[in-house]
Amino acid sequence: MTAYIIRRLLLLPILLFGVTAMIFGMLQFLSPVERSALYVRDIPKNENVVEGIIRRYGFDQPMYVQYWRWLVGFQVADDEFRPGILQGNFGWSRVGTQPVIDLIKVRFPATLELALWSVFPIIGIGLWLGVQAAVHHNGWFDQAARVFSIVGTSFPTFVFGLLVLMIFYANLQWFPPGRVSDWVNQEIFSGSFRQITSLITVDALLNGRFDIFVDAIKHLVLPILTLSYINWATFLRVTRSSMLETLRQEYVTTARAKGLRESDVVNKHARPNALIPITTLAGFQVVGLLGGVVITETVFTYPGIGSAAAAAASQLDVVTTLGFALFNGFVLILANLMVDVIYGFIDPRVRIS
Amino acid sequence: MPDLLLDVQGLETQFKTPEGVIYAVNGVSFGLKEGETLGVVGESGCGKSVSMLSVLRLIPSPPGKITAGKAYYRGQDLLQMSNEEIRHVRGAQIAMIFQDPMTSLNPVLTVEYQLTEPLLLHLGMNKEQARARAIELLEMVGIPNAKERLADYPHQFSGGMRQRVMIAMALACNPQILIADEPTTALDVTIQAQIIELVKRLRDELGMTIIWITHDLGIVAGLAQRVIVMYGGFIIEEAFVKELYANPKHPYTIGLLGSLPRIDEQERQRLFSIDGLPPVLYNKPTACPFSPRCKWAMDRCWKENPVLETVGPDHRVACWADVKTGRAR
Ligand SMILES: Nc1ncnc2c1ncn2[C@@H]1O[C@H](COP(=O)(O)OP(=O)(O)O)[C@@H](O)[C@H]1O
Ligand SMILES: [Mg+2]
Repeated sequence: MTAYIIRRLLLLPILLFGVTAMIFGMLQFLSPVERSALYVRDIPKNENVVEGIIRRYGFDQPMYVQYWRWLVGFQVADDEFRPGILQGNFGWSRVGTQPVIDLIKVRFPATLELALWSVFPIIGIGLWLGVQAAVHHNGWFDQAARVFSIVGTSFPTFVFGLLVLMIFYANLQWFPPGRVSDWVNQEIFSGSFRQITSLITVDALLNGRFDIFVDAIKHLVLPILTLSYINWATFLRVTRSSMLETLRQEYVTTARAKGLRESDVVNKHARPNALIPITTLAGFQVVGLLGGVVITETVFTYPGIGSAAAAAASQLDVVTTLGFALFNGFVLILANLMVDVIYGFIDPRVRIS
Repeated sequence: MPDLLLDVQGLETQFKTPEGVIYAVNGVSFGLKEGETLGVVGESGCGKSVSMLSVLRLIPSPPGKITAGKAYYRGQDLLQMSNEEIRHVRGAQIAMIFQDPMTSLNPVLTVEYQLTEPLLLHLGMNKEQARARAIELLEMVGIPNAKERLADYPHQFSGGMRQRVMIAMALACNPQILIADEPTTALDVTIQAQIIELVKRLRDELGMTIIWITHDLGIVAGLAQRVIVMYGGFIIEEAFVKELYANPKHPYTIGLLGSLPRIDEQERQRLFSIDGLPPVLYNKPTACPFSPRCKWAMDRCWKENPVLETVGPDHRVACWADVKTGRAR
């Protein structure tokens, strides 16, 4: 296993180079003046010094020099070091009027929190639904699951989102939109509430503030429901077909021929094998969730990274958009690594070769 | 017949597919005496596997369904048992090994897990006892370094070694009957011979009763006492090995043997192989299913399906023709 993980880790620099090179390449479509937003706050106000900026920050230098400086930062002058991507300089966000990295720091925890809470129902329940559908192949459960899946795939997210918002917020007033209530916001910024992880549900528990925890959960319910619903459809379908395929394998007959209980045949012999292709899909879905879910965040005015990226893109704030893209690339690489490790755990053929 | 260990009567199994109902097994009856080895031969698709899987109710359902028949094991009908009851027969009383050792072992579970499973389940052993027994079993089937290899996964074994693991697993609970479904077909010739030798040795040591399915009459010759030949889901001939080789009565058996006694050499050439393929039966046959491929086929063969008739001591055949004369029997 260790050897396998090390082999995966060795791939990491290559992947990182790929992602950074791609984003850097896209930056080259911008004019040097626009690109100076990486280093200079307010370009319009400094219009008269543009020439100086270009020379000062080396936008006239060869590409590889620029890439290297962009990546690891560089010494502009004796007393001036400009940090690069690796030091966390993702440029200046015009839309956010703050460094892109700060915008990410504010928005990403919200997205992460939503993603973490959504993963469990999506994977847990999706897996259960898919396995049951396969085990009761063509039975009523399978048929019901199929309808559920088709509806889930064809129902636009915003329609479903608005629907649950209408029912559970407008009518029943159970679950409000947003991330937290105003009083919680005030508490958080009052200073007595220690922000440790920036995940409000986790911090609330760490601070022993159960009331804040409940408030945050209440705000999470509807987005989780929406995300689960749209992801279940795919998850169920893939799990079902993978499980059906597995149940046809000869080793399942072997397991039955040994006299095992059907529940052991399904859960101990078939399911672990069926999980192998499902892991890839689960990885993709998690990456999708971490990249920000624009529609869901927008419908529920949930301040995650998806809605921020959408805002930046719609206002043609290229530096912010590409900064988010780069960050997303890093997340993707990390998630991929995790999927690979999980692969190794569930498939000995991958782990021991 | 007295003291049969397994007595199968009129077994019928069908598959409901989108193309129609497949009549895979169409009234198979045979008996198995304690201690004997019964060979089951026939080309691929003749219903050998489905027959034997049906006896243990292991056919996938849906689409498969056992529509008629009885299978008495020690006086109890396996086909009427509850699911719980038959579970205690599977693996414990009647064990099975399959064709392809590459696919019949679970790739994500260790050999130890798979080997100890039936011991924990049927014999009520604890983990340590089961582990000790698992090592014994691996040694018994000739796997070197048995103790170290317990932690390995199937993909770390060669094909022949995997089939040995399968055999060890099947024999774990000392079953009365071992059903071997073409266990050497997927292996190369030298390994094939080793596995057959192993099974022979274990049979003599453990006094097992064996049903050995194969499409190779040559394998059966050295292994079985009695043979049944299947075609189109029917048993078309049944005899002791020596009798069957010396005196085959069914044109299909003759074709499988690749030679025909008491016929001139030219004829012999033509009979070396049987043209065509065994049928997939979408209707219950009302004629002899072999007639399209049979050079003896007569009017009657196209109209009426022959039933098994006794033609000699312990020799039964289902054919309207007498292959020696070429005329109706
Ligand atoms: N799962 C299944 N679904 C549909 N048809 C099947 C299935 N299994 C076997 N059959 C059919 O049953 C017949 C007998 O197959 P089988 O017993 O596997 O043949 P053999 O073991 O003699 O090669 C074949 O025509 C095959 O197509
Ligand atoms: Mg077969």
